[in-house]
Amino acid sequence: MSSTLTDILVGGISRGAMYALVALGYTMVYGVLGMINFAHGEIFMIGMFSCVFAMGVFSLAWGNLIVLNLTLGIVVAMIISAGYGYANERIAYRRLRKAHVLAPLTSAIGISTFLQYFIFLTVSRDAVNFPRFYSDYLTNHHLKLGPVDFSYLQIMILGLTFVIMCALFYLINHTRLGIALRATAQDQLMASLVGVPVNKIIAFTFILGSALAAIAGVMYSMYNDTLIFNSGYRIGLKAFTAAILGGIGNVPGAVLGALIIGLTEALTTYGFGSEWDDVSTFAMLMLVLLLRPRGLLGERVANKV
Amino acid sequence: MARWRPYLLGLLGVAALTFPFLWLQLRPNTTDNTIQTAWAPEHGLQFFGDLLPVFLAALLIWLGVRANRRWRLSDTIALTAAWQSADKTWSRYWAWIAMPLVLCGTFGFGPSNLTLMTDVGIYMLLALGLNITVGMTGLLVLGYAGFYAFGAYFFAITQQHAGFFPWWIAAPVAFPLGGLMGYLLGLPCLRLRGDYLAIVTLGFAEAFRETISNLDFTGGAQGLSIEAGNKLRGLAGLSHQQVAYVVVALVVFLAVFFVQRLYHSPIGRAWVAIRENEIAASAVGVPVVQMKLFAFSLSAAIAAAAGVLSGASDGFVSPTLCQFNQSISILAMVILGGLGNTYGVLLGAALLYLVPEYLKRVSMLQDSAFFTSLPDFLRASFLHLADYQFLIFGAVMVLMMLYRPQGLLGSTRRKEEILHR
Repeated sequence: MSSTLTDILVGGISRGAMYALVALGYTMVYGVLGMINFAHGEIFMIGMFSCVFAMGVFSLAWGNLIVLNLTLGIVVAMIISAGYGYANERIAYRRLRKAHVLAPLTSAIGISTFLQYFIFLTVSRDAVNFPRFYSDYLTNHHLKLGPVDFSYLQIMILGLTFVIMCALFYLINHTRLGIALRATAQDQLMASLVGVPVNKIIAFTFILGSALAAIAGVMYSMYNDTLIFNSGYRIGLKAFTAAILGGIGNVPGAVLGALIIGLTEALTTYGFGSEWDDVSTFAMLMLVLLLRPRGLLGERVANKV
Repeated sequence: MARWRPYLLGLLGVAALTFPFLWLQLRPNTTDNTIQTAWAPEHGLQFFGDLLPVFLAALLIWLGVRANRRWRLSDTIALTAAWQSADKTWSRYWAWIAMPLVLCGTFGFGPSNLTLMTDVGIYMLLALGLNITVGMTGLLVLGYAGFYAFGAYFFAITQQHAGFFPWWIAAPVAFPLGGLMGYLLGLPCLRLRGDYLAIVTLGFAEAFRETISNLDFTGGAQGLSIEAGNKLRGLAGLSHQQVAYVVVALVVFLAVFFVQRLYHSPIGRAWVAIRENEIAASAVGVPVVQMKLFAFSLSAAIAAAAGVLSGASDGFVSPTLCQFNQSISILAMVILGGLGNTYGVLLGAALLYLVPEYLKRVSMLQDSAFFTSLPDFLRASFLHLADYQFLIFGAVMVLMMLYRPQGLLGSTRRKEEILHR
C-alpha cells in the first residue's frame, strides 16, 4: 500500500474503530462498577485465538468455506470471550465488590497474567499467523472513493463497528435492559430496591464488553496478520487511554477517544516510525490528565452507562 | 450433592472454556494458508502433568489451613515468633542482632550463591519501595520497574560520558532524581482517582522501555555496559561478589530502618489513613494529595537507587529491566508477603525470587541420583516448572486477594480492613 496521507488517515481510523470496541468494555464496566477491568485486554486476546481455533475446527468439519467459517468463527469467539468475561467477573470482582479498591484491581491483574501465560504455555510462545486464506480476499481488494483507497477489510471493520455502535446505543438508551443498566450505574442499592437484578446486570456488562472485545480481536488479528499471547495488554493500554480521553464511563466518549488515539498512532507511525507508537499514546494520556482530566465528553454525566 | 452443585457447574464451565486451548492444537497449512485444528490430548496432559507438583503443594497448603482451623496450630507459632507482632521492645533491636549474622553469611557462600543473594537484596529494596505506595498508601502502581530502569540507565549513561562516576556517587544522585520523576508523573494523576496511577505508571514503563530500546545513546535492545572502575569491585581482600553482597545488605537494612521509622511517624499514620478512607482522612486534616505524592516519589526514589545498585553489581543494563513482567513480579512479592507489612514484603521478595531461581537450577541437576530416581512424569514436571512461574504468580495473586488479602505475614485486622471498605 502506498503511504499517502489519506491512506494513513484511513488506516488510523480503522485502528481507532477496533480500539473503540475494546474501549467500550472498559468504559461500561467502569460506568457500572466504578472499577477498571484490568483483564479486559486479555479477553480481547482470548477472542483472537478462539476465532482461529474455531475456524480450524470448522474447516476440518466441512472444508474451507470462507464466509461461513469466518462468520461462525467470530460468533464462537464472542461466545468464548463472553464466557471468560463472566468468569473474570465471578472470580475477580464479585466477591471483592465491597473491598478496598486495591483488592479487585490486584485480582484482575492476577487473572490477566494468568490468561496471558495460559495461552503462552498451551497455544504458542511465538506469534501465530492468521490464516491468510480467510483474509486475503478482504485485504487484496480495494475500493476507490475519490482520493481515498479503502481495502475491503477496512470497510468491514468500519461498517461492523458502526453497526455495533448503533445497536449498542439503541440498547442502552431505548430498551428495558439499557434502563436497568443505567439505573445500576447510577445507584446499585436504589436499583436493587426497585427490582433491577443488579448482579445479573453487572455480569451482563462484563459479557457484553467481552463479546465486543472478541470482535475487535478477530478484526485486529486479520488486520495485523499475527496473534501473540501478550498483545492484550498493549491494546488494553491504548483502549484504556481512549476511554480516559473520551471521559471514562461515557460511551460516545470512548468511541471518540479511540478514533483520536488511532489517528495519533497512525500519524506517529507516519512521522517517526512504528516503534514510537506507545510513546505517543503515553504522551496523549499524560496530556489529557494534565489538561482535561475528566476527558473530552466527561461532563455529560446523564449519558453515563 | 446440592452443596457441590455450584462447584461442579463452575468446574464444567471452566473445562468448556479452556477446552480448545488445552486439548486442541493449531495446524497451519503453509501451502494454501488455511488452518486446521487437530485433537491433541497429549498437550493438555502435559500441561496438567507439569503442574502436578503445584497441585500437590496447593493440596498440602489447603490441608494445613484446615488442620489449623481445627487445632489452632498457628497460635503457638505466633507466640514463639512474637517479635514479629506487637512486642515493641524486641522489634526495635532484632535488626541490630540480625545484621551481623546476615553480613557474616558473606563468607559462607560461593560466588554464584552470593550473586543470587545480592539480587534478592535488590528485589527486597524494590519490594520495600513498592510497599510504600501499594501497601501503606493503598495506591496501585503497575509500572514500578520503569523507575528501576530509570535509575539503572541514568547511572549507565552518565558514567559513559563522565568517565569517573562510581556507584557510590550515582546512587545518592539517582535517589532524588527518581523521586523527582515520580513527583512529576504523580502530579497529574494523583489529584484524580487512585486507579489512574496504575495505568499512568504502566504507560510510563512501556514508553520508557520503548524509548531506551530505540535510541542510540541508550544502546538499543542490547543495553549498555558499566565501566569496570565505576561498578562494585573487590576491596580489601574481599571478592567482587562479597563486596556487592555486603553493600546491598547494608542498604536493605538502612531502608528497612528508614521505612519503619517513617511508617510509625505521623507521615506513616497519614498514609494509612488515606488507605483506609481518603475522604475521612482529608476531613481530619491530612493533606491527602501531598502525602500521596510523597509516598509515590519516595518509592520511585528507592527504585531508582536500587537500579543503580543493580547496574553496579551486574555490570550492564538492558531494556529487560523494565519489562511488564518485572513490575508484576515485584507487585506479586508485595502482595504475597503482606500489603503494608515491611517484614512480610522482605519475605515475599525472598520467596518469589528464590523459588523460581532454584527451580531453574533444578533443571541443571537433572542427571543427579535423586532426580533419576523420580518417576518420569514428575521429573519432567520439575524441569518445566520454571516456565510456569508467571502462570502461578497470576493464580497466587487472585487466590491471595480472595482468601488471604493480608498476605503471608499479616493480621486478621488487616484482612477485615481490605475486604470491607
